[in-house]
Amino acid sequence: MSQADAMLKRLPNDIGGLPAGPVRPVDHVLEPWEKRCHALADVLDFHKIINTEEKRRGVAALGAELDNVLSYYERWIAAFANILFQKGILTPEELAVKMQQVEARWACDVGA
Amino acid sequence: MFDHDHDHPHEPIVTAARPSLYEIMETAVRELLIERHLIGAHEIRRQIEVLDSRTPALGGAIVARAWIDPAFKARLLADGRGACEEFGISFYDDTSLIVLENTEAVHNLIVCTLCSCYPRPVLGLPPDWYKLKPYRARAIFEPRAVLAEFGTVIPAEVEVRVSDSTSMVRYLVLPRRPEGSDDFTEAELAALVTRDAMIGVVPVNLIDGASP
Repeated sequence: MSQADAMLKRLPNDIGGLPAGPVRPVDHVLEPWEKRCHALADVLDFHKIINTEEKRRGVAALGAELDNVLSYYERWIAAFANILFQKGILTPEELAVKMQQVEARWACDVGA
Repeated sequence: MFDHDHDHPHEPIVTAARPSLYEIMETAVRELLIERHLIGAHEIRRQIEVLDSRTPALGGAIVARAWIDPAFKARLLADGRGACEEFGISFYDDTSLIVLENTEAVHNLIVCTLCSCYPRPVLGLPPDWYKLKPYRARAIFEPRAVLAEFGTVIPAEVEVRVSDSTSMVRYLVLPRRPEGSDDFTEAELAALVTRDAMIGVVPVNLIDGASP
């Protein structure tokens, strides 16, 4: 099967049975924002705003290239933003404006 | 993590490191949803407390009870979630739990090939290696090779069964009780049971129960 055929038949996260390197027993303590992101995911699921399966599909929809370069919770928050846009709950502009405010607040707090 | 004692509108900034794009995005998404009353700030704080309260010690306690109480074990194998709830472990999601018993004849291993589904109410959050490609890709087609990388060699006559988790169905391995533990109390047994033994990548033994 060509690489293109394989990519057509499998979503980027559908990797069961593919060859891969050795399992290294890596782990890390979650950063505070990562834990908040996990809690956000759970709360979105509780309210049926984004359920676990929608989240998984949202991560798959980021595509193989992003999947390879983003970390686990980076993929989650990027997927949440896209899903919230698709559902009409947020707009890209609203998020961009809020992100600017958040960043400005950080700069203000540290006196930068 | 959260300072409940002041009324600052956001979390205290504990480090001067510039937040990443994704950290800013997380804060922005959360605040927008809170402003619109779609979620509550208290719900995020509460869920962080729930996440912090879930560790492999809960699973270890379940396993130890199953080892000493055959009736509990039967209920656990018949209805994993129900038995855990009876034991006092609440499930904060809609998932069901299937408990897989290791025996002389069968060794179980759990994986989530698509993502990172894991019995979080009883084990907490999965380790990074569980979420990374090598384990997810290989566990289902060469489990013995993967087990060997954890130092676990399963005799050829023992069947290795791999269970692939889904968003709704999660698995927990009930490891075999180690030989030489007949005199152990329930609490001593629970302390032997590691996270990795309940994923199925290592057995429970008497010497390394304290390691993660």
